[in-house]
Order: sequence, then structure tokens, then C-alpha cells
Amino acid sequence: MPRPQRSPITFTIDGRDVVAPEGTMLADAAKVGDVEIPVFCYEPKLGAPVGACRMCLVEVEGIPKLQTACSTPVKDGMVVNTTAPKVKAAQESVLEFLLVNHPLDCPVCDKGGECPLQDISYGWGRGLSRVAEPKRHFTKPLELSPLIAIDRERCILCYRCVRFSQEVAEDHQLVFLERGADTYVGTFDSHPYVAPFSGNIIELCPVGALTSRPYRFRARPWDIEGGGTVCTLCPGQCNVTHTVRDERVLRTLSRENDAVDDGWLCDKGRFSYQAATAPERLQQPLVRDADGNLQPASWDDALDRAASILRASGERTAAIAGGRTLNEEGYLLQRLLRDQLSSPHLESRIAPGPSRELLAALHAPALQATVPDLEFAHHVLLLDIEPQEAAPILELRLRKGARRLGTKLSVAGPRPSALDPRAQHVLRYAPGGNEGFLKALAAALEGGDVSGPAAAAGIDAAAVSGLADTLKAAGEDRVILYSDALLSGPGADESARALLRIAAALSLSGEDGAGSGGAGLLGIPATTNGRGLREAGVLPDAGPGLRAVAHPGRDLPGIAEGLAGSELDALIALGVDPIADLQGRAAWRQALGASHLIAVSSFLTEGVAGYAAVVFPQEAPAEQEGTLTHPDGRVQRARPAVRRPDGIRSGWWVLAQLAARLGDRTTLHTAGMAFAELTAEVPFLAGLTLDEIGGKGVRWPTLAEAATWPKGTTDLEPQTDATVVPPANGALRLARQSSPWRIPEVAASKALRFLVPSADARLAPADAERLGITEGSPVALSVDGTEISATARLDSRIPAGTVVAQAGVPGGGADELGGAAAGGIGLVEVRSA
Amino acid sequence: MTASATPHLLLDGIDEPGLNTLPVYARRGGYEVMKDALRRPQDGIVEELKQSGLRGRGGAGFPLGMKASFIPAGDIDKYLVCNADESEPGTFKDREIMQKCPHRLIEGMIIAAYTVGANKAFIFIRGEYMHQADVLEAAVEEAKAAGYLGNDILGSGFNLDLWVHRGAGAYICGEETGLLDSLEGKRGNPRLKPPFPANQGLYQGPTLINNVETLSTIPVILGMGGEEYAKLGVERSSGTKLISVSGHVQRPGNYEIELGMKARDIIEGLAGGTTPGHRVKFWFPGGSSSPVLLEDDLDLTYDFDTMAKAGSMLGSGAIIVCDDTTSPVDVALKLATFYRHESCGKCTPCREGTNWTLRMLERVEAGLATPMDLDRIESVQNQIMGNCLCVLGDAMAMPVSSLVKKFRGEFEEHLEKKRASEDFMLGFDPAAGGHVDTPIRVVA
Repeated sequence: MPRPQRSPITFTIDGRDVVAPEGTMLADAAKVGDVEIPVFCYEPKLGAPVGACRMCLVEVEGIPKLQTACSTPVKDGMVVNTTAPKVKAAQESVLEFLLVNHPLDCPVCDKGGECPLQDISYGWGRGLSRVAEPKRHFTKPLELSPLIAIDRERCILCYRCVRFSQEVAEDHQLVFLERGADTYVGTFDSHPYVAPFSGNIIELCPVGALTSRPYRFRARPWDIEGGGTVCTLCPGQCNVTHTVRDERVLRTLSRENDAVDDGWLCDKGRFSYQAATAPERLQQPLVRDADGNLQPASWDDALDRAASILRASGERTAAIAGGRTLNEEGYLLQRLLRDQLSSPHLESRIAPGPSRELLAALHAPALQATVPDLEFAHHVLLLDIEPQEAAPILELRLRKGARRLGTKLSVAGPRPSALDPRAQHVLRYAPGGNEGFLKALAAALEGGDVSGPAAAAGIDAAAVSGLADTLKAAGEDRVILYSDALLSGPGADESARALLRIAAALSLSGEDGAGSGGAGLLGIPATTNGRGLREAGVLPDAGPGLRAVAHPGRDLPGIAEGLAGSELDALIALGVDPIADLQGRAAWRQALGASHLIAVSSFLTEGVAGYAAVVFPQEAPAEQEGTLTHPDGRVQRARPAVRRPDGIRSGWWVLAQLAARLGDRTTLHTAGMAFAELTAEVPFLAGLTLDEIGGKGVRWPTLAEAATWPKGTTDLEPQTDATVVPPANGALRLARQSSPWRIPEVAASKALRFLVPSADARLAPADAERLGITEGSPVALSVDGTEISATARLDSRIPAGTVVAQAGVPGGGADELGGAAAGGIGLVEVRSA
Repeated sequence: MTASATPHLLLDGIDEPGLNTLPVYARRGGYEVMKDALRRPQDGIVEELKQSGLRGRGGAGFPLGMKASFIPAGDIDKYLVCNADESEPGTFKDREIMQKCPHRLIEGMIIAAYTVGANKAFIFIRGEYMHQADVLEAAVEEAKAAGYLGNDILGSGFNLDLWVHRGAGAYICGEETGLLDSLEGKRGNPRLKPPFPANQGLYQGPTLINNVETLSTIPVILGMGGEEYAKLGVERSSGTKLISVSGHVQRPGNYEIELGMKARDIIEGLAGGTTPGHRVKFWFPGGSSSPVLLEDDLDLTYDFDTMAKAGSMLGSGAIIVCDDTTSPVDVALKLATFYRHESCGKCTPCREGTNWTLRMLERVEAGLATPMDLDRIESVQNQIMGNCLCVLGDAMAMPVSSLVKKFRGEFEEHLEKKRASEDFMLGFDPAAGGHVDTPIRVVA
């Protein structure tokens, strides 16, 4: 969809001529002329203005009544007065009215000092109160949710939080209750406001009515500093500002970047800063002693010990980089393995994915869609992705496009999605049916045989053809948003080829090489910096810049197998716990039990605590320094907001020290030097400097150097028939649900702990009836003799024959189920327990 | 002009038994105009409505023909909404029309819908009008059965579905955009204008929304011809108007008058004036939200422009008469109580202003105020007026401010008297504020 093009116009405000884009609301356009018009309810991020607070009344020449600047678009030649006596009187009136019931308890209010109501009262208010009447009273403060306190006396009923809930997050929980002067904000039936994006209302609130419970009474605005960085907890990579007091993060706020997050944060990003100061966080290196116990050690001892393990294992070493690993660390890790240890066994994905040539084709600059493209597209197709899990912030972007611009959505995958109600087509195929589905869709677009691959995926061919017809008929700006899971497992290459054929059939490739045509693919990796690590060369078959390597290494199952056998001796796990984070837990337990594990971790998770020979404590997100790459190719800077605790060192430093001990002659003294080495090795980042990246990041696919991106494969013909999803035959096909709340940072944050997912197994009511399972009853799921227990949840959105089990729960949940189920295609026995 | 000269158009034969049923209405020539209209080109009807000069009878007095011409042409979902949320204190004219002659409203709506190309029509009726809603529903069923509603009405190719929607009891839903939100199932709060309903109304579609009396007048206009209708009344206030007269008069009720009649002829002639021995002290010319006029103003002619010039408004045509036994303090307090209760709470000046005004008037009533508080009350009314999202705030501010201004002496006298009385401060609770509370859980 074409982006709004606004031509500049000239209007006059308070006697000055100001040039602003036509159609901009007066409240915004005035800022161009350095005129501030006070507002409370107006917030462009919330959509169309509502004109409720009446604070922004101004005089527009030719219109007898005062106009709300928030809802008046500027026109050429408009003459505006914001200081006329009439305007001044209106401003004073509105402020006086707002303070009629406001308690004016600024000295004990968290908002005091950073409060728009305070600022505007000072700037535009009368300075005297004429109110002799009693103010209205509420019990306060109340817990609106475990994260948010509500003080209804302070509330000026500006509508922002309600509009956020109704029109941005669309969770439809917050409402106005009662009416007139008795109006108050709450939830229907007073249930707590628990939703993935609830914390945003704290930042939206222009008074101290909604305050963060974890931040309450922790600091005043004059105690704190802001540290801008990027949230490294998911691939959404929202830009944040940490509120810091005495080298401690006390709060996280959004740092608006339209190209990334649109100024919102999810609750995970907003509240999990607490994990950095959790008592369970590792604060010094640990080394396993002769008795098998992890003991605190000095950095030198720990590094020496790790180096000696690596020296001994040499080319029989493997390394896995976890999601929070930065580009520099990824680059240094692959250099350590490839150059010092001569080992090619590297991986940064959580499951085997497409080969290098296919990755190169999928991530080709011309084929990349951007985050804003999701909003302006004619049609967005979501393939096996639940944005709320993969990168929550994208859900808000998709909802925004659908709600305000009429962007059409279609959802295809084995599981229900929160966006289903917004979707034009909802296609549900059998778990493990990715390859079949993609081949069917490709065939439907190309005019080939749809029924064969559709049957293999367990989906109705007519539904696939219907989707294909819609996509063909949609406008040219079509975006396909997909997850790593779509292209993982044994059929990854075939799936990738089919996806590329779909992209070709829909002409998603932009001519300008920047994907700014508004169409393209947007792949969301399973981990935060998945894309950056691939481009830094943390792949078994690709070096930095995704260049080919002479001797490809093992994939993840291969590494596990090698470690369990005698082919591999040691594993470096950088910010990843193979047991907790990767699939096939049983295999990894066996692998780690038979080898040496060098871990970099913040917490003593199962694999680290049980198997690591050496543990280096990892930096918290707010301490990290370096760069990371957003799924749409935007290179962003993580900048430390707080000093690292004494016992903790940077990831790049640990890797550089290990390399030095193994004979590396280069010396690194700063993260910036590591970045320079990375850019020297990666052609499409050549010459990029940290200054250029700055606070908003740079999308490398838009740079001239993008031309050096390796050419991907062009041979997209299917090489095999689609893998057939086995018939259920009374058992159920297992699909995994990975809650956004599964990461250890959530469990370690006091405020967020209540969100740690429980072991749920969701299944269709028909299956439940057949198996004699009722809502909320305990069930047992078993595969190949491994059994887990879960709580049954009946969900009519789940197709018969499928069970969706929660992964990442304490005790393992669906992750424990190994065997064929680990790869995604597997049958699970479900019975009432 | 005398009362007897007034032609009866809307109230003609209104009390005939069974007029609420289709056979009786049809016998009196009902639906003939509609049948004729469905064969006419739409722009011809718009033109005729414009010629009639009919101004909206709901309160704002916006010309109907012009409003209808704002509805964009084209093949889009358009709507017709009848505002039957008659909630203004003192106004009860629509009730009589709906109860006694529902078919004329339906006929008018069919014509209006045909004229603007709307295929879906709604009557949003005040929740308390239960009997009238029953009557309307029955009439709609009759019209459906007669083929006047539904698909391909009388072979014209025009389709129209009509629903009667009962409101949930909120004055604010009489405000057209609040009504639309409520009809959509939302909280009935007024919307920011522009966009106006003619462009983006119900479900974001172009919507013609008019009052019961206005829509009921359409068959009358087309029946007699727009030009002929325009001859009735005075310039810029054409036609006849239903007037609800209430208060201290001997014959309260609905009267149909030709606009431009002298107010005195309405109040003292038609409605019989005050009880003998009493005089008119002040009167509301257009419902409780119009600024009050005094006895001297009775010789003004009753039309839109004259009322406006006198500093008040014709509004919905509800005349409330208060004789010399009335205390303006009581009336102001009643008004403030009503409007504070009915304020939706969306915009600041109305929500806080009505509440604050009521609290101040309560103090005045109790004698706990000073003349300075009267200044404050007046100033607060000025702060409300013109600054609100819709006109509800003004609807309180205008009459309250006019009462305080015109009867300042009596307000001050009341304060003195109250202060001197034996029950001064008796039963007054200074801590009484708006206590609302639904605890979720108190934060530990």
C-alpha cells in the first residue's frame, strides 16, 4: 500500500510562518514552529484523536469556536493563535477542571517530576485553586494487575489506557465504568488486567494514576539516568531506555523507533530487568572440582581450565551460540572454532535449518520486507508463526495495519494464533506438515498439483487454492512473515525451496534491492540475534558474510550424536543451555554427560548446573555492548546502561581470552575493535561504523555494500515428494507451543514470575471426548516411552487429531518428548492421568 | 395570528382510535405519498425538502434538505437513523407521534432512506418509552407485511430493512454520535466531529440521522409540496412545529403551531396560562437546556431566529413555564443534578464542570455559600460553554448561567435567608463527594 506522501505547506502560528507536512495535526505541526500546544488525551500512536481532554483548544482564524489542535489538520495558509485571551482562558479552564478532583499529592507520587499534568499545570495553569468542594475519593492504590497499580483519584480520565487496550493491543480488557464525574477506569468484573502488552499503559498515563508496581517508590526523577539500548530478549529487538539509579536498572521504558517497535514494549521486555539483580544470577566463574561440584573460581583459573579442555579437544570441539549472543561474540566464537581449533561444528539455530545457498536466497536484500512493511502491506501471510511468541511487538504492528489501514492478514500453521480473528484466511495443517503445505501453496500459485502435497500436510486442497487466489488478487505489496520453525527439521531445504517459489510466484523481490517496494519475506529467527549470528558465520556450512566453507560441520543432532559418541569431546555453549533451549532433551543429556561443557550463562539451568566443567557468568541485557541484527537486516547497537557487576566480564572478552590462550596473536581491547574485525570480514557490512548505526540502527540491505551478499541458489525445483504427515490412528500429532514467558529472565524476575507458563496440553473437544478427557483434568502425553504430565485445555480452535503442548515449562513439558516428535512430526499418546 | 388559524398537519386526527394501525392510517391516505415518492428521482425529493425550508426538529435546527444532500452518492452501505431518544426534560412530542401515528414516521423513513440510498434504517428509541417501542414494533411488522419494508418495495427495486432499537437509558444517547456509538454496541459517548455522520456515521458509513418529528414531516411536505409547506411559518422558520408545553400552565400538552406565533399566544392562549393569581416568572423556550426568558419576553414571536436573538433557543420546542412561586435556586439545582448525572464523562469541561457546579449549587442551597460563590458559578459556566466535545455541557451551563444572571438578587436573598434559618447546616455533609469504589485488591 502506498505510504502517505505529504507535501509541505505553510501555515502561521502565533505570528510565525511554519512549514509542515500537509494534513499533520496542528498539535504536532506546531512543534515545527517551536510552539507547544499542551495535550493529555492526544497520542498519535493510539490512532485517531478523540478530542476528549479539551486541553489543546486553539483559535483558528475564520472559525468562530475554538478548535482542538489534536484533531485539526493543518492546511496551507491556516492562521492559528495559541496565545489569544480566549485560548488562554480555555486552557486555564480545562486545567482547573482537571484539578477539581486531582489529589495534588505530587510529593508522594511516582510520577512527580516527570508528569505531564504537573508540567502543563505549571506552564498553562492559573496557579490558584478555586475549589472549595470535597474531592472524590477511591480506595487506593489498587492492584490493576500484579504489575500495575492504579490510583483512581489521580486519574484525569484521558482515555489513553482504555484506548490502548481496545484499539492497539485489542485485548479489550480496560473499560470506563460508570459515567460522568463517577467514571473510572477498570476491567469488567474487576479481574486483573493481565495481557502481554499491559505495561505500555504505565508509560501512556499522563498522570500518576497508573504506576509500575516493581518501580513504585524506588526512585524520583532526579535520582535517575536513562540508558538507551536494545532489548535482547527476543528477535523483536525493541529499542529501550533503562532507568538507572546507582548502577541498577529500576525500570525499562520504550525508546520509540518507528522502524522497529513503534514505541511499544511487551511486558517481558519491560519488566524482566529484575533478573539482572536476582539472587540466582551467576556473578562469578565456576569450575567443577574433582568431586563433581561447581566451585567459584578466579577468572584466570576458569579461563585456563577452559583453554586446557579446548586444547585437548581441538577439532573435536563444537560450539552453539544462544540468542543473546551479539554479532561480535558470534564472529569471535566462529573464529575461535575455525581458526584456533580447526573445528567446523558451529550452530546458532535451535534446530537444523536450510542450507547456506538457500539461506542466501531467502535473505537476499531484494527479498527482504521490513517491519513497517507489515503495516502498509496489502496482504500479510503468516506462516507457522505466532507473533506473540516469536516477537511480540510485531503483533501490535500487524494489528495496527489491519485496524487502521485495512491490511489483510492470512494465517497458516498447525496451531491457532491470537491473530486468527483478524485473518481473512485461517489455514490449519497438521503438525509437521510445513513442507507439504508450502509445496501445495507453491503449486497452487504456479498452477501445479495441489492435492498431493496438501494431502501430505493434512489440509484441504481447496483451502490452499483459496488462499492462493486471494494472494494473487491482493495488491502487489505482499509480505510473508514466517518463523524459523517453518523451515526446520529434516524437510528444511525442501520447505525453503517451496517458500522461494512462492515468493517468486508472488514477485516479492523488490527491484531496488532494498525491499522498500513494500513486498518481501520477513523471517523471524527463533532467537534474538539469530540473523546476526548467521551473518557472522555461526553456521555449520557458512563463514562470516555467509560465505561458503571448505568443510561443513555437523548440524545439531549431529553435534549431540558426536558428543554422545567419541567423535566430539567438548562443547562451548554461549548463552544457551542445550537441554533447556534445544529440542531432544534426552539426546542432549546423553551428549553432555559424555563430554566437556564450557558454558556462558546467567543462571544455573539444568544443563549448566548438571554438566558444565566451566561456567562463565553472562552479562545481563542492560550490560551488553556490541551490535545485533534485527530480522529485517537492521544492525542495532546494544549499549551498556549499567556497569557490569565486578565478577562479570563481557562475552567478547571471554572469547578473546580463550583465543589468546590457544595461540591467537591478535589482541582485542574493546567491543568496538571486535566490531571493526567483524565488518572487515563481512563484505556487506564493510565500512559500517558504530557512529553510523547510532541510536536507530542501519538496515544493511539498503547500503551499497548489500550488492556483495552471496548469491543464493536458483534451483528451486522440488527434489522429493512432500513428507507425508502420518495418520493419527487414534494417537494425536504433537505441536509445540513456546510461550513468550519461557525464558529464564522471566522466572528470575520477581514481578513476572507469575507468568511462567504451566504445562498445558490443548486439544480439540472432539478428541477430548473420545479420550475421556475433561477441561482442567490431568493428562499424560507419551512418545517412545517418554512421558510428561500436563493439564488438559479444551480448545475448539485446534483441529481434531492435534495436541498442542506447552514447551519451556518448569520440568520440561513438551521439550521432554524426544524421538520423532522432536523434529516436529510425531505422534503422541494422550491419556487421562 | 391566532391559535385557531394553525393548520394541523402532524396532529391532524391524531386521536382517532386505531390510527396506530395500518388500516386506519391507510384509510386516511397513509403511505400514498411514499408510493408516489418511490417513483420519483431522488434529487427531486431532496430539492423539494430544501424548498420546504424544514429545519431539524430535534433541537439543533439544521435544515433537513441540506443534510440529506450531504450524503454522498454511490454504491456504499448507507444508513438512516431515527433519533427517538427523546430525553430532554420537558420534551414529549415525539412520544405522541410514535404512540399515536407510528406509520407516518415509518413512511417518512422509507422516503428518507430512498432519497439518500440507505438500505438499513434504525429507530433508536429511548429505553423508557416501552409502550411506544411496542407500538412501533407492531407498526413495523404491519409495514413489512404490507410490503412497504423489505426487498423490492412495491416493485420499485428499493430495499429497506428497519429495526427498532431500544436505548438503555442515557440522555447522552440523544446526541447523534453518542447514539450511533450506542447503536454499534459501544459505550454511548459522543464522537469528535468532523467527520460528521453524513460522511462517517453508523459503522463508518454515510448516515442520515434525524429526529422523529422531522422524519414524520417528510410525508406531509411531499404531500402538499415543498413550496406550499414553506409558505407556512416565517422566513427561516418554515412550517408547523409540535410544542410540548409543561410547567405552571393550566393546559399542559402537545400543540402544533405555525412557527412565528407569539409566545404569549402559546402559553396563555393554547396552554391556558398560569393559574389565576400567578404570573409567569421565567420560561424555557426550548427544553431544559435553553437559557430562560422572562415574562417580558412573552411577546416575542416563537421561531428559531427570534429565540436565538433573545439569547435563548427554540431547541426541541419544549416550553417549560415557571410561575412566581418557583425558586430559581431550586431549578438551577435540579438542572445541575440532571446534567451531572447524564454527563458521559468523556470530555473534561462537561464531566468536571457539571459535577463542580452541582457541588457549588448544593452549597448555595444549603446557605453555605457567599455571593462570591455565585460569581464562581457563573464563571465556571462560562468555562464550560463552547469548550466541550458535544453540547451536553453547554446544555447545563446555559440555563444555569441565565438563572444566576437573571435572578442574582434572589440567589443572594436565598443565601441570607438560609443562613438565618434554624435548620442552617442541618443535614449537610461536607464530606459527601462522589464515592465510587470497586476494589480489585489493595496494593500491599
